[in-house]
Amino acid sequence: MSLWSHELRLLLRARLSVVALILLSALTLAAVLAGLAEVSRQRDAIAAIPAAQAKDIGAVAAWIDVDKDAGSAAYYSFHPTWDAPSPLAFAAIGMRDVSPYILRVRALGLEAQLYDGDVFNPELALPGRFDFAFVLVFLVPLFVIALFHDLISSEREAGRLRTLDALPSGGRRLFVRRATLRLGLLWVALAAPFAIGALLSIAPLLAVFAVLIVTALYLIFWIGVALLVSLLRWSSVANAATLAAAWLVLVLVLPTLAHVAINRAIPVNQGAEIALAQRDAVNRAWDIPREDTMRRFYANHPEWADAPPLGVAFHYKWYLAFHQNGDESVAEAVLAYRTGLERRDAAARSLGWVLPSVGVQAVLTRLAETDLEAQLAYQDRIRAFHERLRAFYYGYLFRDRAFGKADFDRAPRFNDEP
Amino acid sequence: MSAIRLIAVDELRLMARNRVAVIALALLVLLTIAAVVSSWAHQRGVAELRARHQSAAEEAFDAQPDRHPHRVVHYGTFIYRPLGPLAAFDPGVDAFTGNSMFLEGHRQNTVNFGDVRQSSLLVRFGQLTPAFVLQIVAPLLLIFLGYGVLARETERGTLRLLLLQGVSRRQIVLGKLSALGAVALLAGLPAMVGFVLIAGQPDALAAPMAVIAIGYAAYLALWTVVIVLFSTWAKRSRDALLSLVAVWAIMAVLVPRLAPDIASAATPLQNRFQTDVSIAEELRRTGDSHNPEDPHFAAFKQSVLDRYGVARVEDLPVNYKGVLALEGERMTAALFDRYAEASHAAQTRQNALVRAAGMFSPTIAVRDLSMAAAGTDFDGHRRFLEQAEAYRYALVQRLNHLQAEVVSFADDTAKDAGADRRKRIEAENWREMPDFAFRPSSGSELAASAMPGLLMVLAWLAAANLLLVAAARRLGGR
Repeated sequence: MSLWSHELRLLLRARLSVVALILLSALTLAAVLAGLAEVSRQRDAIAAIPAAQAKDIGAVAAWIDVDKDAGSAAYYSFHPTWDAPSPLAFAAIGMRDVSPYILRVRALGLEAQLYDGDVFNPELALPGRFDFAFVLVFLVPLFVIALFHDLISSEREAGRLRTLDALPSGGRRLFVRRATLRLGLLWVALAAPFAIGALLSIAPLLAVFAVLIVTALYLIFWIGVALLVSLLRWSSVANAATLAAAWLVLVLVLPTLAHVAINRAIPVNQGAEIALAQRDAVNRAWDIPREDTMRRFYANHPEWADAPPLGVAFHYKWYLAFHQNGDESVAEAVLAYRTGLERRDAAARSLGWVLPSVGVQAVLTRLAETDLEAQLAYQDRIRAFHERLRAFYYGYLFRDRAFGKADFDRAPRFNDEP
Repeated sequence: MSAIRLIAVDELRLMARNRVAVIALALLVLLTIAAVVSSWAHQRGVAELRARHQSAAEEAFDAQPDRHPHRVVHYGTFIYRPLGPLAAFDPGVDAFTGNSMFLEGHRQNTVNFGDVRQSSLLVRFGQLTPAFVLQIVAPLLLIFLGYGVLARETERGTLRLLLLQGVSRRQIVLGKLSALGAVALLAGLPAMVGFVLIAGQPDALAAPMAVIAIGYAAYLALWTVVIVLFSTWAKRSRDALLSLVAVWAIMAVLVPRLAPDIASAATPLQNRFQTDVSIAEELRRTGDSHNPEDPHFAAFKQSVLDRYGVARVEDLPVNYKGVLALEGERMTAALFDRYAEASHAAQTRQNALVRAAGMFSPTIAVRDLSMAAAGTDFDGHRRFLEQAEAYRYALVQRLNHLQAEVVSFADDTAKDAGADRRKRIEAENWREMPDFAFRPSSGSELAASAMPGLLMVLAWLAAANLLLVAAARRLGGR
């Protein structure tokens, strides 16, 4: 034990290793706080929905109530959906800064609404968020390099290496001790601020442990790289340059190169094409016999087929039917688009097995539920909600039931639980 | 002179003998080439794709059959943000803004389908562009090549020997500076060659390109001076290395990520939900078209009747429904403009705050000047948004005019079986609508908007030089 405390004293006597450790914990703390602030902003925005929504829908209900037309109610009522941040979202903001977490939909064509974004400043999003994942993936390797590049070579350069080798419990055991000590201190510098954040946001224990383990593994990976380089018995300068090159390649160069390669290898039929096709399918309904539209709609939705036939005048059931037909006409393209996105994501994930930087980012955003999978899951929840909305309004439209003020309260509400 | 040169050549020879240094430099050159090639190919691909989508959207618009003008208002049109040639060097916010926008009546839609939501998580690791390589990667490489230039001599005591041989401190520092400067030049060269290739494209502009070239040269010069400065200050190589890596991590990686967080906390943006709800509420307050007794619309109707000197809307020489559509669109568009203006102003304030953080990070300053000159910053995006809204408004009002003048009120309000046919106007009208053409900023505008960033980088360079002059005087002192 005294050997350990001696090593600790020795390490802490070097001003720069102390500065490095303090800097790392300060950065981690700042990142955790920034993440918490962002998440609480998002929570506040979600919490503000009901009041504003009630006011908005109240105004719509007031004038709809005069004619009690269910079609106008469906057309003019927007229904909010939201995607509440998970307890660990503070650690990895992931896509939550560029994808909407609040989206209002109405019972019209969903494909024209689902891909809408929210307001965000692109210049602020460009460099990426300052969160725990960023500190871990990008900055930690640099601290490992700073503390480990001359672990052995400095002793050699000082002419002490042979003496240390000859000492009892010196040599390899000495360096294992030193490496373990540094690993432990780095891990604490990261884990302590993270644990504070996790505690504050009441994150599930299992996920917190997973993050802590991933943190340790990533540290061990970089320490392993540093020790491998030290086996080459180069000078400290050469070690540092080699490790910096390794950092550059593993954290910056390969992920960006892989990004280009993946987007090339897996072409995603641009979402813009879906929007274009859906718009044409929807608007074509105005130029074809209305019975064609209804036939097609009833074929897919026989539960409404017993509705009274269309008269000469405009009826919203026809309008909503061709909107749904429009959605269904692009279903294949939508599926292909989604599959393409998932394949891109899967390709990046499998790359994570080879590239620890990518792997850690993928694991953290998965645990924090802020990755593409979570975004798509939110879209699925919107789809399911939208289906309920349609069924709700169709129940009035296809049965020619009046839609009064009280009916607005009967409309389905988005349930956040997945 | 010869002493400076000797020291520089000696330092370069040492670096050349250092295999790792050579490999690192070669890596940087390869990386730059990969960045230039992939970024250029990407920009060309994107530009072609958007042009193709744009012409498909225009064809679809023109190919519409006879329709009621209001149907066309809702059919709307898609426009795509074109990408300038300099985006191949620095695509800026392009991947984040989305590029396709649906324009229709009474609604202001978002720009959708940005790369950032269509790519894997790798997109957040940064994009491999020449600008990224020069801003982030090149400085770190220079640090690892240069942190020891003077610290090594101090640590090993060879500095003393040099001084004893009668070489002045100034000469030593200048020698080391020119050696590292030569390496920096070498590191920046491939990116500049790529830049010149990009410049070969037809509508690349000379003035912003010159600003970009000067900006990056000053930026790399700044890092060279900073590295030599820290190496002069440090007693040991390790100290120089650690402090330089810390400085790099803070300036190139940390502050650029931290500043946006502070900016977004300082100036919160209204989200789309809040905006839409507020606009709907304000619209109801000014005039509620759903309320038959609304005072605004009653007064409006009276003013139209008075203008034509008739008593009933049926007697108007124009279609009152079209006139009403014109008024409704005017009202919503005015609100859209006001809210968009407020949101853009808030975002500009956020960006100004980040820009001010350029005082703590030259990387922010050079990024700003680079994006501004390439026309790929927020201002470029805002320009697109404003032109898109102006085009949307003009298009919708042209269609509303058609409704007011070509479709008769009697037909428009008729509900008999043949009414649908009578309401439609000729397809020829759609083809006469002008297409959207984005007007990019002029070269001098782009260059001017890059000036603040450039001045900041130059100020950094001047300050670092002053510090180096002071440090050089005390070199080797105890």
